Amino acid sequence: MKSTVVKATFVNKPVAVLSISGLWKRRIKANSSRFFRKMSDLAKEKAARLLKKRGSVSSLGSHEVRAMTFGRKKDSISTVSYMEEPGHHDDIPRPTVQMENTFRLTPARRFPVTTVKDILKDVLTSYLQEEKYEPELCRQMTKTISEVVKARVKDLMIPRYKFIVVISIGQIRDQNIRMGSRCLWDETRDNFSSHNFNNSSLFATATVYGVYFE
Amino acid sequence: MDDDQSAEETAFVVEEVSGIIKESLESVIGRSSFEHKRVCQWTSSVVEQSLSQLSKLAKPFKYIVTCIIMQKNGAGLQSASSCFWDSTTDGSCTVRWENKYLYCIVSVFGLAI
Repeated sequence: MKSTVVKATFVNKPVAVLSISGLWKRRIKANSSRFFRKMSDLAKEKAARLLKKRGSVSSLGSHEVRAMTFGRKKDSISTVSYMEEPGHHDDIPRPTVQMENTFRLTPARRFPVTTVKDILKDVLTSYLQEEKYEPELCRQMTKTISEVVKARVKDLMIPRYKFIVVISIGQIRDQNIRMGSRCLWDETRDNFSSHNFNNSSLFATATVYGVYFE
Repeated sequence: MDDDQSAEETAFVVEEVSGIIKESLESVIGRSSFEHKRVCQWTSSVVEQSLSQLSKLAKPFKYIVTCIIMQKNGAGLQSASSCFWDSTTDGSCTVRWENKYLYCIVSVFGLAI
């Protein structure tokens, strides 16, 4: 019998970090001056403020997260961030793990929704119980919590599952906010777990998606 | 050459994905102001439209699309994500979009099958 070789290198790094009120590492294109002139006064001021603020921000890991600003239309601004050249930033080149066929069609262990929810609850409560909303602190906090949750979920040692942890922390200031997500996946194997936390000055939502690697 | 092409066809291309997201944001929200009643529908339309366009790319990926819409009134919001996956094949793309009245953050995670 001939066995095929499956390649798998798992690397875990924080992938995207976003903040609205925080600092941004920005890359403004050469035509930005033309674009700024077109914007309304309010937006102009804002952009100038943002430009002044553009200090360098590094995420916890070694991957650089790129952000680009585009002004496509007069009334909206968009920024795209992504992980630069995924997979080419390994500090230590790892040997490729070669695995033989398992002939297994279903996961040995499914994604434990309630256990993960308990982890989320525990982490969010312990980190945020006493905190007040401050942009800088929360910016750091989102990264830290996402890393901690990822580590805790990894410790569960669920084979062949990939995890995505998304954390949002927001200020409570009578604003309206709506979060939603939708997935294109195999609902019999893949699952998610989510937890909300709020105290008097901030709210936090954490979601962990577990996706079976076929 | 053929290898390059086939790699391109099965890879997570950020430009492609961000284009899809921005297009759906512009078409769904555009210049509209924040209306409580419509936001619920907006989030689902943005996510649904992006997802259906992504599935039309016919790439071997499972997708997770998340969308946050927040009213602009000076309140702050921080969002971060952390992944445990195969970084050679999987990818993510986050678009932060705003108009005069609201902020919107859409993230797409693509996980290779």
